[in-house]
Amino acid sequence: MYKLLGLDDAGCKALNRATFACVVSNITLLMSFGVTLQIITVLLRPLMSGGALDTPLLWKLFAAAVVVMLLYALAYRDEYRKTYLASYRESEKIRLELAEHIRRLPLSFFNHKDLSELTTNMMADCTTIEHTMSHVIPILAANLITITLASIALAFYDWRMAAALFAVLPLAAGVVLVPKGIQAKWGKRVARRKLDVAERTQEYLEGIKVVKAFGLSGEKFAAYTEAVKGLMKDAFRFELITGVFVVSASMILQVGIGLVTFVGVTLLSAGTIDPVKMLFFVLISSKIYGPVIIILTMLAELFFWLISIRRMQALREEPVMEGDENAELENYHIELRNVTFAYNEREVIKDMTLTIPQNGVTALVGPSGSGKTTLSRLIARFWDPREGEILIGGKNIRGIDPETLMRYMSFVFQDVVLFNDTVMNNIRIGKKDASDDAVRAAAKMARCDEFVISMPQGYNTLIGENGCTLSGGERQRISIARALLKNAPIVLLDEATASLDPENEGEIQAAISELVAGRTVIVIAHRLRTVFGADKIAVLENGRLVEEGTGEALLAKGGLFARLYQIQQESLGWSVKGKKR
Amino acid sequence: MMAESVTRKTGMARLLELAFIKKGLSISACVLSVTSVAVSFAPFIAIYYIIRELVAHYADLSALDAEMMRGLGWLAAGSAISAILLNWAALLCSHAAAFTTIYELKLDFTRRVAALPLGFHTANATGKLRKVVDENIEKLEGFIAHQLPDLAGSAAMPLIALVILFVFDWRLGLACFVPLLGSYLIQSVAFGSKASQTFLKKYQDSLDDMNNAAVEYVRGISVVKAFNQTIFSFRKFHESIKAYGSFVMDYTMSFGGYMTAFMVIIHHVFVFLLPVIILLAGRENGYARFALSALFYIIFSFSLVAPFTKLIYVSGTGRQIADGAERMDRLLETPPLPEPAAPKTTGEYSVTFDRVTFYYEGEASPQDWKTNDSEFSNPPRGSAPNTPPAMDGGVANALGGVLPLAKLQTQESAGTRILASALSNVSFTAKQGEITALVGPSGGGKSTIAHLIPRFYDVAEGAISIGGVDIRNMANDYLMSLVSFVFQDVFLFKQSVADSILVGDKNASREQVIAAAKAAQCHEFIEKLPQGYDTIIGAKNAHLSGGERQRIVIARAILKNTPILVLDEATAFADPENERQIQIAFEGLMKNKTVIIIAHRLSTVRGADKIVVMDKGAVAETGRHDELVAAGGRYSRMWEQYSAALDWSLTKKDGANKEAAHV
Repeated sequence: MYKLLGLDDAGCKALNRATFACVVSNITLLMSFGVTLQIITVLLRPLMSGGALDTPLLWKLFAAAVVVMLLYALAYRDEYRKTYLASYRESEKIRLELAEHIRRLPLSFFNHKDLSELTTNMMADCTTIEHTMSHVIPILAANLITITLASIALAFYDWRMAAALFAVLPLAAGVVLVPKGIQAKWGKRVARRKLDVAERTQEYLEGIKVVKAFGLSGEKFAAYTEAVKGLMKDAFRFELITGVFVVSASMILQVGIGLVTFVGVTLLSAGTIDPVKMLFFVLISSKIYGPVIIILTMLAELFFWLISIRRMQALREEPVMEGDENAELENYHIELRNVTFAYNEREVIKDMTLTIPQNGVTALVGPSGSGKTTLSRLIARFWDPREGEILIGGKNIRGIDPETLMRYMSFVFQDVVLFNDTVMNNIRIGKKDASDDAVRAAAKMARCDEFVISMPQGYNTLIGENGCTLSGGERQRISIARALLKNAPIVLLDEATASLDPENEGEIQAAISELVAGRTVIVIAHRLRTVFGADKIAVLENGRLVEEGTGEALLAKGGLFARLYQIQQESLGWSVKGKKR
Repeated sequence: MMAESVTRKTGMARLLELAFIKKGLSISACVLSVTSVAVSFAPFIAIYYIIRELVAHYADLSALDAEMMRGLGWLAAGSAISAILLNWAALLCSHAAAFTTIYELKLDFTRRVAALPLGFHTANATGKLRKVVDENIEKLEGFIAHQLPDLAGSAAMPLIALVILFVFDWRLGLACFVPLLGSYLIQSVAFGSKASQTFLKKYQDSLDDMNNAAVEYVRGISVVKAFNQTIFSFRKFHESIKAYGSFVMDYTMSFGGYMTAFMVIIHHVFVFLLPVIILLAGRENGYARFALSALFYIIFSFSLVAPFTKLIYVSGTGRQIADGAERMDRLLETPPLPEPAAPKTTGEYSVTFDRVTFYYEGEASPQDWKTNDSEFSNPPRGSAPNTPPAMDGGVANALGGVLPLAKLQTQESAGTRILASALSNVSFTAKQGEITALVGPSGGGKSTIAHLIPRFYDVAEGAISIGGVDIRNMANDYLMSLVSFVFQDVFLFKQSVADSILVGDKNASREQVIAAAKAAQCHEFIEKLPQGYDTIIGAKNAHLSGGERQRIVIARAILKNTPILVLDEATAFADPENERQIQIAFEGLMKNKTVIIIAHRLSTVRGADKIVVMDKGAVAETGRHDELVAAGGRYSRMWEQYSAALDWSLTKKDGANKEAAHV
């Protein structure tokens, strides 16, 4: 169980301590109950066996009760502190470990998972574990321990009455625990319905422009209504079904009160039981079933908590990429040998062999889906190829720690990720110990300076979440500034100037020219014209290398490159045709 | 209506209002819950009578009324069972109320959101709206289903207890009542005080912070890894985890004292009772009667533990749910676009902008940069889960500034600047059957113009008219039947390709669909899909590229065949073949229409009948390509830059000539 929760030794100890504290406070409660019973007997003695009320004894019992109460106060305070401390400390630790673990996962992991889902699950699962540790395990364990102890004691006290008290327990337990399969089935069904509603909602809201533009509100809304209605019905049934079991179990347990009285009275009539004992059991029967039912429901729920705990576990066990952290590259000549790579089943790169010369510009071109982007990411070891190898400076990158490898590379990608921080710090990501002057110098080279100083606080302006206050071209230039600051010998460029306005485009081109100077450059080009003068153009189609050579040579060859180039010249020359033409 | 009432309720009042939407069910739930609490005291009373009987006949047990005692035993069991059953019935009612209420709220929310202007949807990321449906409304379930009956029960309980307590012996009753009152006070101080409310708010905030940091951390991981800077964003995340951890600890611990006091009192009412019993016992004449009363109170004090413990858990959680309801209500505050009382139609399809001024809500004035330090903060565009990154150009960009309803954003990002992308005094006419192009730098106002024509928003000043009729005087459906728009954010429902195209005209035949598809250059790739036109988009092996999706949207517009077209030329998915085919598809679409096209590539609009050059929200120049180039103004400079950019190429020379600069 502890292992499942992913606790280390300290965590186990903390949890044990919490459970122990719970047991202690439960026992003090039992003690206070014992004192109460004593008080009741003393109060009743004059009525039953005559004589006067033993007031001094009552005062003593009062003193005892006060002591027990204080003990309980201490014990409860302790329990409260320990359970929460244990759980919050642990969940904090788990969160931190996860954060650490995640950053070491290969990027492939982030590719096939929906990131927001991943994050939400991660945070929600941590909360579940937190809850399980603070509210479930210690209480469950402590209640189990105390009830067991109490029932053993009761059995010794009078086994017949104890038997009457617990006669119904197996039945109640059975009712709660046996049908958990049914509950799980319905639970899954509800979860599926919820997902369905979430999807429908997403689709409806996302498609609202279409819905409105084409007057589809009726039919699309009907589908949505259907989904929401389905969820409502199933959720209610689920509630009903799970409720039935717990409620039945509680009711069955309460029959125990009647049983205890019945057996007690029978034994009393036969004269084989002390009336005080009988009284004692009757009183206990009014109190004991509460905790029992809590145990039973918790056991049933534990089953559901396990789901998120397991999911968490799976994430924690996701393998990380290993490699030599002290590897050094002697030169930056890149070589791919028979590289094959697949996302799950789909082969994206097929048996590719390619050399990328040092200190030159190599362009990857081809239709969308041809594998250009994947190839560039493979070189940066975002993933490892399924077959074949990639060498840089003669070293197989599989043996190099990804972070170490990254030191030699700069990226400028289409999807620029910016952080909710100052412009200065966003550029400084390129090199964390860079001085403000160095950052500014890089920004100038990347043609950022002008627009940055026009911002209210210049370099100290906060840009919103993911830089939402900046235009696409500005974001691109910030990412170029980062790369310039990093000053790595290998540059991967996913050139994305296609849909920017002309002014921006010129600026970005100038910035890129600064960046590629004297480096080993791999560029993914959309506009073939841009890379026509590159040292080498590799033409990809369906994950295969179909042509390579200089622009001139490829054009002369009349293959795919020539065809794409031709098409692009046409579309660059295209214009709308007004009627006056 | 919520949206119109200025004095709409907030907080707990609003929560209760929502909880009683299903009046009958909710009231039944409350009544049943109260009854259940009342009945739950019965077993203890029965036990008291059992003991009394036992005591009365202690001397001679054979005189014991065994039947009555057994009866009492079963009565105790029976009433305990009834209490459970009643409670269950209450929960069933409350769940029925909860599920039907959230069902209705969800539908209501979605329906009303759908009725809001399209601009609302541009400003509010789908994710945010979905969060309202999936989380905020969903959370009401917990409140209505569980907390409402508990609340009713725990509110009634002290009263019931009070009555019972004072029936037998008021002095002993008082001795019981004082500690109970104490515990009641403790819990209201603990959870009701201003300090604890602000604490709760802070707790929520630090939880949100942590979750946001987590999202940013995971989203940025590729960049962060690329720059060996895991520690950079890791630090932030790390700090927020730490902050949350220590905060939640402080928060929880701050209740430690209260919780302890509460639990101690509630478990030890008899301790307060005992001295009173002892003191009174000596003075009583009829000891027997007194002793039995005392006994009753001791036993009864046990019965208080369970319901009172529930009480302390009820108080804390309502607030958070109320916040969620608040979020929903605020989103619904946006008024829908007014529909004209007497809608007009038109037979002529020129589009005229007459001195149009428009600015996005929350913006002081057009054409300036604004430091954002108020609640008018910028919606986090990047957080829209389904915004493809490539959309950062064109539309998304120009709209990336201050958006209407931006003030709804709860996040404050102080010090961010806001790009004014509004219009001031814009006048031009896009003549019927002609092509009018909008060009200019991003943020110049091109996209705003495009969005105003299908009435995503209404203008602040001036008017937009079609064939001389102000679009505000047209029924919305009618306007939509005149205008088609193809923007960059291509959305396709998860349905068959044919149905996706049929959206343009439900009554079209298969032949017409195919014809439209052919004109939009889709036919060829559709035929190659596993089930051709009947392939469900997004299903296995039916993934469409961005360019292909765009062409399907064009096919749809061709089928819809409206006289006016508003287009965004940007081919965000720049793949040479796709791009070329989209251009051909555009040609098919534009025939004989009034076309307004946002152009990013100047060469595209050389042939336009009219080019409107936008800059900083105003019209800088208008004319045809040749005229504008000859005029030597803004456009001609843009054209020069454009031509230069077109010829730029990365070369070997580039790679070598600056070698010295690089170490």
